[in-house]
Amino acid sequence: MNEIEPRYEVLWPLARRAVRNTAAAARAPDLAGRTVGFLWDHIFRGDAMFARIREALVARYPDIRFVGHEAFGDTHGSGREAVLAALPARLRERGCDEVISGIGA
Amino acid sequence: MKQAALVAKAQGIAFALAEYRGAPMVDTDAALQSKVDDLLPAVIQGLTARAGMASVADDVEPVPGSVVYAGSLDAVTQHFHERLWTDGLPVIPPTRERVAAFLTFTDRSPDDILAVLPQESREASILSIAVNGVMAGCRPEYMPVLVAIVEAIADPHFHLEDAGSTPAWEPLVIVSGPIIKQLDLNHGAGVMKVGRQANSSIGRFLRLYLRNICGYRIPPGDGDKGSIGYSFNVALAEDEDFAARIGWPTFGLDQGFPAGTNLVTVQSVLCITPPVYSAGTRAEDHARQFVAVIGNAFAYWAYRGLRHNVSHPLIVVGPAIAEVIAREWSKDDLRRYLWEHSTMPASRMQGFAVQTAGLGIDFHDLVQRGHIAADYIASDDPDRPVRTFLNARDIGLVVAGDPGRNQSRGYLPNANQGVRTSRRVELPRDWASKLAACA
Repeated sequence: MNEIEPRYEVLWPLARRAVRNTAAAARAPDLAGRTVGFLWDHIFRGDAMFARIREALVARYPDIRFVGHEAFGDTHGSGREAVLAALPARLRERGCDEVISGIGA
Repeated sequence: MKQAALVAKAQGIAFALAEYRGAPMVDTDAALQSKVDDLLPAVIQGLTARAGMASVADDVEPVPGSVVYAGSLDAVTQHFHERLWTDGLPVIPPTRERVAAFLTFTDRSPDDILAVLPQESREASILSIAVNGVMAGCRPEYMPVLVAIVEAIADPHFHLEDAGSTPAWEPLVIVSGPIIKQLDLNHGAGVMKVGRQANSSIGRFLRLYLRNICGYRIPPGDGDKGSIGYSFNVALAEDEDFAARIGWPTFGLDQGFPAGTNLVTVQSVLCITPPVYSAGTRAEDHARQFVAVIGNAFAYWAYRGLRHNVSHPLIVVGPAIAEVIAREWSKDDLRRYLWEHSTMPASRMQGFAVQTAGLGIDFHDLVQRGHIAADYIASDDPDRPVRTFLNARDIGLVVAGDPGRNQSRGYLPNANQGVRTSRRVELPRDWASKLAACA
């Protein structure tokens, strides 16, 4: 059968990637005195998780500060385009050094 | 985690990940706290140590249009399966000759890039459309429809970036215009079943494209988080002659395009209702049954449309049913009836919202934001009836199916994910002669 079976030369079915790499920001050696912002997609109990994270980080870094997810809006809800577009400015306004973002949908 | 890593890589950004293991919605408060404690070291590490970046520049990939393999049909199929370049079914080998035949059905260059698509940030090139069209079993003359489909899903309004979300919705292609007949799309008995080449292969093309170009692959792939899904949708076409005969505007007209426009519309479908059999000689006989079956079936997911302020439910109305309704009502009359009469207790909607993702519906907030009318908060009775359809306007009605049966079906969208989006089908020069040559 193989003797008469056609042989196919096939093209790659994917396409080129168009990616611009963004270097990661420098990190502080620890979180003492830093301001951490929370971003949430308003699902799957992220609020409860943030509360626990906050509690644990405060115990370890007493002068750490937080900006709650309410300051930024729902990153997954209606109007998310506006929420995401405004995010860089809001993070700067609120003085966030780090961000913890809940994902999963 | 794998999907997040894939997206980060494709976005060219570096971030650290901390994984909550398991499903938080079924954990006790104590278990949730314990699991968060477990991920804290990763959180602290992520915030204090620069994350390494897995760059796509590290991946050596073939040049588009290059031959990547040569072998028998079995060997090609195996090669593609191993690289997750198929949907699990055999594909037609995308040879240079077959792809070239598809490219004759567009005036655009194979190198034209329609967009860079989520989530792998790959270029949606005309060439990639032709290659995947071949693989899906399409005919070359379907190419204009395939291009329009990719243009539709590339529109930010569609929200393609959500095609790998856990509800596992599938896109549905609806074809309108004279091209329905030209490509022999089925709109009669057995519509929405596999079996007609145009409907089946066009539907399959889109699923393949979502896998190969967008990267939405179920395990062992990384990009699709769909939990429990269903098979891809074949393309839907309307019985436009029948719609015209009963005096209803076509679905294409409803999308705001002139009569006779060749059009594709793509939207998400999360689930399909049971077949709705309805009987009677009055419009309301059938509309009442739609409310009872389709309105009820859609009630569970209704909160999402309200919360996100977008929803495009779709009903495929059997021709015999449409004819009865059309004697008394316009399509807008039917939409209005469905919107007004499909209700559920507010407490039930609340319960569904909480069960799904943990947050209830704040009706007052939604009224304030203009998503819903003030009558949603007309009383404090938790069991007050509230409407399940976000609005009447966006209820899609397509006349199709067996004219000899009294059956219809509903198709539930996933609110703000896969939002209904239409694109004109641009035909190549000499379309008629090229099409005739294919016959």
